[in-house]
Amino acid sequence: MSRTVLVLDRVSKVYGEGASTVIAVRDVSLELTEGRFVLLMGPSGSGKTTLLLLMGCLLKPTRGRLFLFEHEVSALDERTLPLLRRRYIGFVFQTFNLFPALTALENVELALNLKGINGRRARRQAAELLARVGLGERLHFLPRDLSGGEKQRVALARALAGDPPILLADEPTGMLDSRTGRQIVELLAELARTENRLVFMVTHDPRVRDLADEVLVMEDGSIVAREHATEETAAASRGERR
Amino acid sequence: MILREEESAWQAEGLKATMVSLAKKNLFHDRVRFLVALIGIQFAVVLMTLQIGFLLKFMTNASVLIDHIEADLWITAKNLKNFDFGLPFSEQKLYEVRRAPGVLWAERFLMGFSYWKMPDGGQETIQVIGFNPETRIGAPWDIVEGDLTAVKYFNQIFIDEADRARLGFPRVGDEVEIIGQRARIAGITRGAKSFTGSPFVFTSFKNALKLSFIPPGQTVYILVKVAPGYTVEEVKRHLAETLTGVDAYTKREFSWKSRRYWLLVTGAGIALLSTALLGLLIGTIIVGQTIYASTIDHLREFGTLKAIGASNADLYRIIIAQALIVALIGYATGMLLSRVFLHVARRAGLEAYLPPEVLLAIFGLTVLMCVSASIISIYKITKLDPALVFRS
Repeated sequence: MSRTVLVLDRVSKVYGEGASTVIAVRDVSLELTEGRFVLLMGPSGSGKTTLLLLMGCLLKPTRGRLFLFEHEVSALDERTLPLLRRRYIGFVFQTFNLFPALTALENVELALNLKGINGRRARRQAAELLARVGLGERLHFLPRDLSGGEKQRVALARALAGDPPILLADEPTGMLDSRTGRQIVELLAELARTENRLVFMVTHDPRVRDLADEVLVMEDGSIVAREHATEETAAASRGERR
Repeated sequence: MILREEESAWQAEGLKATMVSLAKKNLFHDRVRFLVALIGIQFAVVLMTLQIGFLLKFMTNASVLIDHIEADLWITAKNLKNFDFGLPFSEQKLYEVRRAPGVLWAERFLMGFSYWKMPDGGQETIQVIGFNPETRIGAPWDIVEGDLTAVKYFNQIFIDEADRARLGFPRVGDEVEIIGQRARIAGITRGAKSFTGSPFVFTSFKNALKLSFIPPGQTVYILVKVAPGYTVEEVKRHLAETLTGVDAYTKREFSWKSRRYWLLVTGAGIALLSTALLGLLIGTIIVGQTIYASTIDHLREFGTLKAIGASNADLYRIIIAQALIVALIGYATGMLLSRVFLHVARRAGLEAYLPPEVLLAIFGLTVLMCVSASIISIYKITKLDPALVFRS
């Protein structure tokens, strides 16, 4: 039986005060389990990124509670939150956000160092992670010498550093062509299912819906639709990858 | 969920080293910006080193004789401004001083301006120093050439090696003319350079009276050594109460009075000090601007680090490490440049005094300048919006 990883209990996020108040996320309740690949879709300005920031403990909810493995984390202080992110959450960004002065290997190694893995062990693990995302031959390349797809793979390897149970991805295909984008999404789906992670991805791209176990649709800060993959689509999706 | 216990492992030395390594790579990755920061620091270091060095040399020159003479007390004419403006008073005071309780010995000492006739017929202002050649109290302390006992004889003089060029390159044994009197160079001293720039000419007290405009029966200073069992303060107090028309200073007081006059009263020191401070200020602005611009450029990376679990302290470490690396390299290269400038200055007759503790202080100021210049960047990081990393 799958464990519950993340629970959002009537979470809201309000920006500004008085007349300039904006409700970015409105009373969202979710229960997300391990081993699932969940897509969050919706128009621009619907609150998708804010919801991702809340789930990633980069923002604190104005109202409501957030639970990580049954522990409430929404009330944790600023000193504890970085520790929580290191241990439990990996991030993948639309613009890759790699360190331009560091090679692919060093970018991943840095994330491992942050998670307490140092020296040769970090170097070996970084090389393994890059090999896992298909970049075993590009270890010593600087980001400027990598293609968009390769950069995103480095970012993915970095997100996997320290083996976090949650991967949060914000439009990871936004800067990629459709073929490369699909390859990245397939990799994310595989990481969810074969390694029993929760992979939560914000996207605008409807062409990758078929790869998801669950699709959430957000509008005006609320989840307005929740669509589970049928056994047939899920099997088809898995079969397609085989 | 155990987080606090894991914190110690994450805050290990390894992480600190990672942040320093990232700082280094960030810094060297943008070479142009790094060079701009370096030039800013070099500018500040060179300016501070030269100005402080010249200032200290001027300070030591302003009291060079006082500091080298082993007297505990200096008796001077009333309301004297500094050593170089010494005024004559009756040498009868010497006998009064010698009779005072607590005085081990007392000696006459003369300093008077005079004129040296140059080989080209021109004249050079000199400061004639007269001391007792028997006791050698007040004599030059570093003899390069010649025998000091020679000054007992008629118009035998010593000049400093630093002033040879100024006096027309005379050599030992040469005859020269001072206010119409013939004098012979008996030796060369080292390290006795005056603040006023007028060369010191050392000779016996008797010769000095002839070679200067001080009238016979007068002295300019009386040097006093305090006998064991007495404090300098009590002897000074007694002399100040009993002697009329003169002042008594301890060695430290007279040394400071002379330095203070040239540095503060005339404003020469303030000018040098303000140039050094200006260098520090300009350096701080250049470094601050460079580190801030670099921080702004790397804001997304800092946000990413924050998102993947770096604490604010980790990010501060990167910025401080950048500042320290720039400070270290800037100081080292700035010092090399300073050496070149000091060499050129020395050739032009301008000396600097830079003891190790001053070089250390300049290093401390450089580090302080770089670290304080990064404070705005640290503030910027503190206020960093994590959502920044999610924007395309």
